[in-house]
Amino acid sequence: MDDFSQVRKEAARILSKKKVDLVIGFKKGTIPLKAQPAFISSPDDVEQLILDGFCQNNLAVFLHDEPKDKRIGLICRACESRAVRALAIEHQLKRENLYLIGVPCSGILDWKKIHNAADGQITSAVEEGDQIILQVGGKKQTLKRNEFIVDSCRKCTRREPVGVDILIGEVQPNEIGTDDLTPTWGDKFAKKSSNVRYKLFTEETDRCIRCYACREACPMCYCTECFVDHIAPRWSESMVTPGGTQAWHIIRAFHQTGRCVECGACERACPMDIKMVYLTDKLNDDMKEIYGFEVGADEEKQPPFATITLDDKNRFTT
Amino acid sequence: MKGKPRIILFQCQYCLASSTDQDWVEHDLPKNIKLVKVPCSGRISPLFIMNAFQKGADGVMVSGCMPEKCHFINSNLGARRQLDEFRKFLIFLGLEPKRFKFLWMNIDERGVIQKEIAAFTAELKKLRPNKKFNSLKGEIIGQNYG
Repeated sequence: MDDFSQVRKEAARILSKKKVDLVIGFKKGTIPLKAQPAFISSPDDVEQLILDGFCQNNLAVFLHDEPKDKRIGLICRACESRAVRALAIEHQLKRENLYLIGVPCSGILDWKKIHNAADGQITSAVEEGDQIILQVGGKKQTLKRNEFIVDSCRKCTRREPVGVDILIGEVQPNEIGTDDLTPTWGDKFAKKSSNVRYKLFTEETDRCIRCYACREACPMCYCTECFVDHIAPRWSESMVTPGGTQAWHIIRAFHQTGRCVECGACERACPMDIKMVYLTDKLNDDMKEIYGFEVGADEEKQPPFATITLDDKNRFTT
Repeated sequence: MKGKPRIILFQCQYCLASSTDQDWVEHDLPKNIKLVKVPCSGRISPLFIMNAFQKGADGVMVSGCMPEKCHFINSNLGARRQLDEFRKFLIFLGLEPKRFKFLWMNIDERGVIQKEIAAFTAELKKLRPNKKFNSLKGEIIGQNYG
């Protein structure tokens, strides 16, 4: 990003004026293709901050670990801003203690795909415009950026950070979705017959090793004790068996109904490369269709499953 | 299909006003139907239904009260939202729609549950034993109908 120095300046300003105690952003990782979260508490360290397509995490997830009263500055892309809003609605954080620096986002890159496309060991990787420039061994390799954007960013339509304190930079509308009509995995899945759908679903979940990386990466998974961690009563099979992994994926997705912010962090965190965004997407699409609810669209509206209303009287009559 | 389908009936304990119906459900249910009585349909977590299918159920039936007739005033409204969406979700993942049925009972109806259970059993008999989501015991389930 060209004007990222402005974001650094803003971060230094709020830190030196004691507006916040901590700024959460990204810094360069120790190996190429991987940026890592940065927790910056002194204005001298702001030069570390970066933002590019290799920033995989959703930063809102780190707000769970901090005390509610701590004042935190957060560098916010659109999905992080939606997560903050959704968490504030569920009383998981105090919005007034946060300072959100909104930045535009041009899609997150799939590092596994880049790794496979490279001819050898990657020693450095940088983005330049719509290209990714890799150093492979001693040679230079250029890749097209658009081909490596993850599915959840490819079909993202809400690129505007919501409810931020300051927006630095200009938000570009998502053009990938319009000029490139390659269907995502979820689109293909929905078109199959029910037996094939079940087969595909089991093929995906059978690979699961139940490391719960998807849970840890998710900004909306904040329960102190997850349903799979319960011992007595044991709500579901907790071993790595076909039944256990299926139950985990189904119920994990179902708990996100009308809450998932569609950042795709779960899928990017998965070490086994299991597709799971299509599950929450389907549930969110249903919520939009039935109740007209979109995550992050409204500042006060509760998610559909937390609302009880007699408008439902004539629904679900089957 | 040989034998009778296994059915799990989740029943809200207030949805049958007539004591003859409630008696029938408690004592005279056919052997292939297991009753899980709950204080309100709002108690039924989607996980219960998931577990029912995983432990070998061929069909799941949820019986609860109509809106405005709930003993706890409005808990069934939340249940209806959640469970209906859960049904859609399971169908999205490949479950046959006929295997999961709701029975939102009007409190002044009599003798409905007997008819509905008979119809549900007949429908499930036409389908083959459920092989989806029941991977806890694998293939054995299909052969063990009593």
